[in-house]
Amino acid sequence: MSTRTITMEVLRYRPEQDQEPFFQTYTVPCDPDWVVLDALNYIKDELDRTLSYRWSCHMFVCGSCGMVIDGEPKLGCKAFLKDYGDKIRVEPMANFPIERDLVVVIDDFIEKLESVKPYLIAKEPKTIEQGEYLQTPAQLKAYKQYSMCINCLLCYSACPQYGLDPSFVGPSALALAHRYNMDSRDVGRKAREDVVASHEGIWECSFVGACSQVCPKDVDPAGAIQQTKITSAIDYVTSFLPGGNR
Amino acid sequence: MARSSKAIPWFLFAGGGTATAFILPVIILVTGLFALFGAFSGALSYETMQAFIGNWLIKIIVFGILFLTLWHVAHRLRVVAHDFGIRADTGVAIVVYGLAAVGTIATIVALLSI
Amino acid sequence: MSRKPYVRQMSKTSWFLTHARYKNYILHEVTCIFIAIYAVILIVGLFRLGQGPEAWQGWLDGLRSPLGIIFQILAFIFAVIHTWSWFKVVPQAMRIQRGEDFVPGNLIVGVHYGVLAVISLFVLILAGVA
Repeated sequence: MSTRTITMEVLRYRPEQDQEPFFQTYTVPCDPDWVVLDALNYIKDELDRTLSYRWSCHMFVCGSCGMVIDGEPKLGCKAFLKDYGDKIRVEPMANFPIERDLVVVIDDFIEKLESVKPYLIAKEPKTIEQGEYLQTPAQLKAYKQYSMCINCLLCYSACPQYGLDPSFVGPSALALAHRYNMDSRDVGRKAREDVVASHEGIWECSFVGACSQVCPKDVDPAGAIQQTKITSAIDYVTSFLPGGNR
Repeated sequence: MARSSKAIPWFLFAGGGTATAFILPVIILVTGLFALFGAFSGALSYETMQAFIGNWLIKIIVFGILFLTLWHVAHRLRVVAHDFGIRADTGVAIVVYGLAAVGTIATIVALLSI
Repeated sequence: MSRKPYVRQMSKTSWFLTHARYKNYILHEVTCIFIAIYAVILIVGLFRLGQGPEAWQGWLDGLRSPLGIIFQILAFIFAVIHTWSWFKVVPQAMRIQRGEDFVPGNLIVGVHYGVLAVISLFVLILAGVA
């Protein structure tokens, strides 16, 4: 198997010694079927132990290795070297503060995720004896796509509205709110609406659609948000009618 | 976080976007081909247009299309201003929706004068 | 070890130049500028129609002026861009579920173009025979 020599330009940032980030170049002998994550692992194992980055499953299900590769938000484990030239630029995800090297601070997202109540809110609590919830395949299909989100945050990296205004709740959190709103077992739409339908919620979104384009799991958060806009707008208007909740 | 009132202009934006997507290309085509080659000069003559727009049902349709178009472009201009870095969203909103309101009233006045 | 997270600044006025997908987005957003001007032209036309034959002729002459022609060519291009970009995203905004399946996006978009063709043909025929 022939090896390819790839020049990796990786953004470094060591908070204890650097004033600002800078690019460091590594020359990496790669197997042709490697992904960018493999090249990073080679760098860390053989060339520079100090390089820091997140990764875990190496099979695009955990969402840990989000980064920007040649200007495009991608999972490191899903970026195949055969799709790139001999020089690859790797940076941390955009729109998040850099903790160190390719590791970003995601606390803001965690707070936003919690704020949309990403769990089933049932009509009333069910005991084991009452039996399980029943759900038809059609009811499952209604929300299944949005349940595939792995919180990799590539969508936040791609979203220019999040970049312009970090108070935006953001694609992943709103897609997950939609996942629960569309679940037949859930009655929590009203409970989520204060965050979802706020100025910083769905209404900050201008349907750029970049989030859905970069999503590695085809969640289509942009679609989730637009669908939520329709139901939320109807909710808002009808809430002014007699009997509506305000 | 309170629920945003952006829902209402968004409804008009969506309705206007749909209306303009379906009707605007052919309207511009008609006036454009007239401008270039004098096509449709019969339809665009004073007598024909007077009679056509004079019809009350047509007035309502024309108003509907222009109303939706005005509020569609107003909301989109608000978003574009934000995308181009203009931070004063409330000020921009007042200006664009104010202009749309002026345009709406102007349309009514103009249609009533025909 | 003390933390010192680094925040990279994003240009608020030229961010859309950094990637083709953002340029595409701004392109379909700014269609509203041309559509707005064209709507104003139409409203002015309505006023001229109410003011009598000479005023109306003045408006028609304005359409045929070089500026009028150039603007209408641009407005047509941007109107088509608006229509194309609007139709493209309808399946995302409106998922229609039938049983366990969703109506294919291509079908939804195709129906939109079909309706566009019918409406356009109707208007052209109406204007052609008048």
